[in-house]
Amino acid sequence: MSNAYIDQFPAEAKVIRAAFYSSFFALALGGVFGIIQTLHRTGYYRFIDSADYYTVLTAHGVFLVISFTIFFLVGIFTWAITTSLDRGVEDLRFTWGWYGLMAVGITLTGVAILAGFTDATDISASVLFTFYAPLQAHPLFYLGLVLFVVGTWFAGVDWFRSWWAWKAENPDERIPLPAFMVLTTMLMWYIATLGVAAAILLFLLPWSLGLIESVNPLLTRTLFWFFGHPVVYFWLMPAYMMWYVLLPKISGGKLFSDPLARVVFVLFLILSVPTGIHHQYLDPGIAEGFKFIAMTNTMFLLLPSLLTAFTVVASMEHGARQRGGEGYLGWLKALPWRDPVFAGMALAGLMFAAAGFSGMINAGMNINYLVHNTFWVVGHFHLTVGTAVALTFMAVTYWFLPQVTGKQLWSRSVALGQVVLWFVGMTFMSNAMHRGGLLGIPRRTAEPQYDGFEFEAAVGSVAELDAQIALGGVLLTLSLVLFFANVVGTALNGRSDDLPDNSYAGTLSGPEDAPQILDNLKLWTAIAVVLVIFAYTFPLLSIIDRGGLFGPELVELPLSTLDLESISALALAVEQSTIATLETTADTATAVIAGVIP
Amino acid sequence: MRISKGGLLVVLALLAPLLVELRTVLAWVNVELSVLESAAIGLILVVAIFVWAFWPDNGNDGPTSDSSPR
Amino acid sequence: MSHATDESTQIQDPDQPTDSDQVREIGHDEFDPVGALALIGLYFLILVFLWFFMYFVEFLGNDPTVVSGIVSVVTGGVGLA
Ligand code: HEM
Ligand SMILES: [Cu+2]
Repeated sequence: MSNAYIDQFPAEAKVIRAAFYSSFFALALGGVFGIIQTLHRTGYYRFIDSADYYTVLTAHGVFLVISFTIFFLVGIFTWAITTSLDRGVEDLRFTWGWYGLMAVGITLTGVAILAGFTDATDISASVLFTFYAPLQAHPLFYLGLVLFVVGTWFAGVDWFRSWWAWKAENPDERIPLPAFMVLTTMLMWYIATLGVAAAILLFLLPWSLGLIESVNPLLTRTLFWFFGHPVVYFWLMPAYMMWYVLLPKISGGKLFSDPLARVVFVLFLILSVPTGIHHQYLDPGIAEGFKFIAMTNTMFLLLPSLLTAFTVVASMEHGARQRGGEGYLGWLKALPWRDPVFAGMALAGLMFAAAGFSGMINAGMNINYLVHNTFWVVGHFHLTVGTAVALTFMAVTYWFLPQVTGKQLWSRSVALGQVVLWFVGMTFMSNAMHRGGLLGIPRRTAEPQYDGFEFEAAVGSVAELDAQIALGGVLLTLSLVLFFANVVGTALNGRSDDLPDNSYAGTLSGPEDAPQILDNLKLWTAIAVVLVIFAYTFPLLSIIDRGGLFGPELVELPLSTLDLESISALALAVEQSTIATLETTADTATAVIAGVIP
Repeated sequence: MRISKGGLLVVLALLAPLLVELRTVLAWVNVELSVLESAAIGLILVVAIFVWAFWPDNGNDGPTSDSSPR
Repeated sequence: MSHATDESTQIQDPDQPTDSDQVREIGHDEFDPVGALALIGLYFLILVFLWFFMYFVEFLGNDPTVVSGIVSVVTGGVGLA
């Protein structure tokens, strides 16, 4: 009899399995659209109408960065909470409830997107994953997204409930690290999603339903990026969690420092949201000063990532030295490269380091002008979410699948080949994308070629870059095929009694070394909310002031005598109620948390 | 073998970004490589790594697969 | 609901080697992460180098820039060279 996760928590293992399979289904769909658009825009194989390109791209973006990532992370978060608190979920029906809500929601959204391929209905949602107005989707698209996000909110409630119950039984203990990571991530997520919730519920959905005539595009866009930057950390923090709690163990060592890990997650909670405007450096209508503040906050965000790099590498080194590694760099050879879980995560981390450089370029306000909306940006985020996150998730799948299915992994060698192939494929694709972006090749373009104009490459030619991108895309697709072969092969295996135990890495420097204040979630949430108010109040105020709450046409409503002054008065009122809402939310959160701490 | 099979695979994979960027770096000093020439260099490096990896360690302990010493 | 109450000790067993390849035990005080320091230091140097590289190649090398005022004076020389 083994002591795998499924033996400890059979009911929860089922939920996690469902979340994983939903995630993989989205990955498969997204991958198909990925190769279609790669071959299309490089001109190698165009079988769709270029007018449908946005539909393909919307499906690729939404299925990969919304469904694939988030379904996967709710799975590992459930694992982290139950394993580290050593207790099952409080109410299994509730757990299935939020999973169901997410599944229904994303299905509605997905149907709305895919319906864009047929003329049989007039439903379509080719608005890309950013759904900027004036692009408008069918209401189903927005409705589905809302249900999906509300599902994640309930998932967070589920995990907080577990923590509260555990806390009542263990009043004097530190929050176990994995649980701490889940809770801080979810707090960040609650704050972040207020942005999209407002954008969709107040503006885009009513607009798509015809209840209001117009929206202020800059306002909904800014609210989108209020959410759009922190969502990046919503993908990344689970990957970091894997690097902190799983990677050291797989390397044969222990986590270098539990306190540092806590500091990192607290910093992400505080700094993730007040940076969103760095995606809008080129948006007219937002003053340079606000952009500058966003840039400063962004640069501070480099800190937790550098801390992570050090802690994670030090933990790997600890493993390598315990395995007999020597020297300044010689220890690298003693790492378990043959293990796909390890190799995948290590390669993902390496690519993330490369992405750190292109990210630095993106983050600089004036350098950003050079690469904004070019293919460079696509190259950048295929290194971050497309590899650091996606490859980490695929790699840890090889550890989690046996845990939640009770079956041996179908093939470790195929798994190793898969992660290495992803690395190589992404090297080719992402490198050429970066390069193309520097030449000015735009992103989100079906046919990036123009009459009487040619992009000039500094080295080689644009045709070579296209070839490199297509080659990379094909390798990535092959890698996905290997991944799914392993998932299916594992599912078809019989139940095994010989599985590794469910456990996570121990620590060299444990929570007893971490200042107690780090566990004060109330405090950090409050600080996060205050920073958000600082960073967003004035930009939002001035956007509403200039463009109107629902766009300029508002002037023609019954209040037609409105002059500019009363618009700003209105804006102020809305602003204040927004702040009040934020404050109430913070108060509620504080009160709720305070309720459990006697 | 001087390196585990997994290690060898990863080393070969790491060659990809180096090769791809080698062209750019060389262009900086006015050496323009064609795609074919880059591929040829890649092949040479791959062979060199294979030879290194399979060369018996110090000649005395034979081709036992080990990852720890050295 | 809690199935694993008695297994709590196994959840995080620090002494259990995860791999049979472990040859020694290194505790908190004996461990000095010089390798990590070397690697991260190297990474940092590369980052700084690339930053400068970027500045010369992409920023000064491309004509219209945002902060045109002062920099164009400098660029004038470089750009023509
Ligand atoms: C088989 C692997 C993949 C291939 C071949 C691929 C290819 C591409 C290409 C060529 C584009 C740019 C299209 C354009 O701007 O015109 C793109 C966009 C994008 N990809 Fe991927 N990709 C892959 C995997 C992934 C993964 C794993 C993720 C994230 C988890 C991802 C996330 C995105 C996002 C968010 C966009 C931007 C969509 C937009 O501009 O609205 N991709 N992909
Ligand atoms: Cu961002």
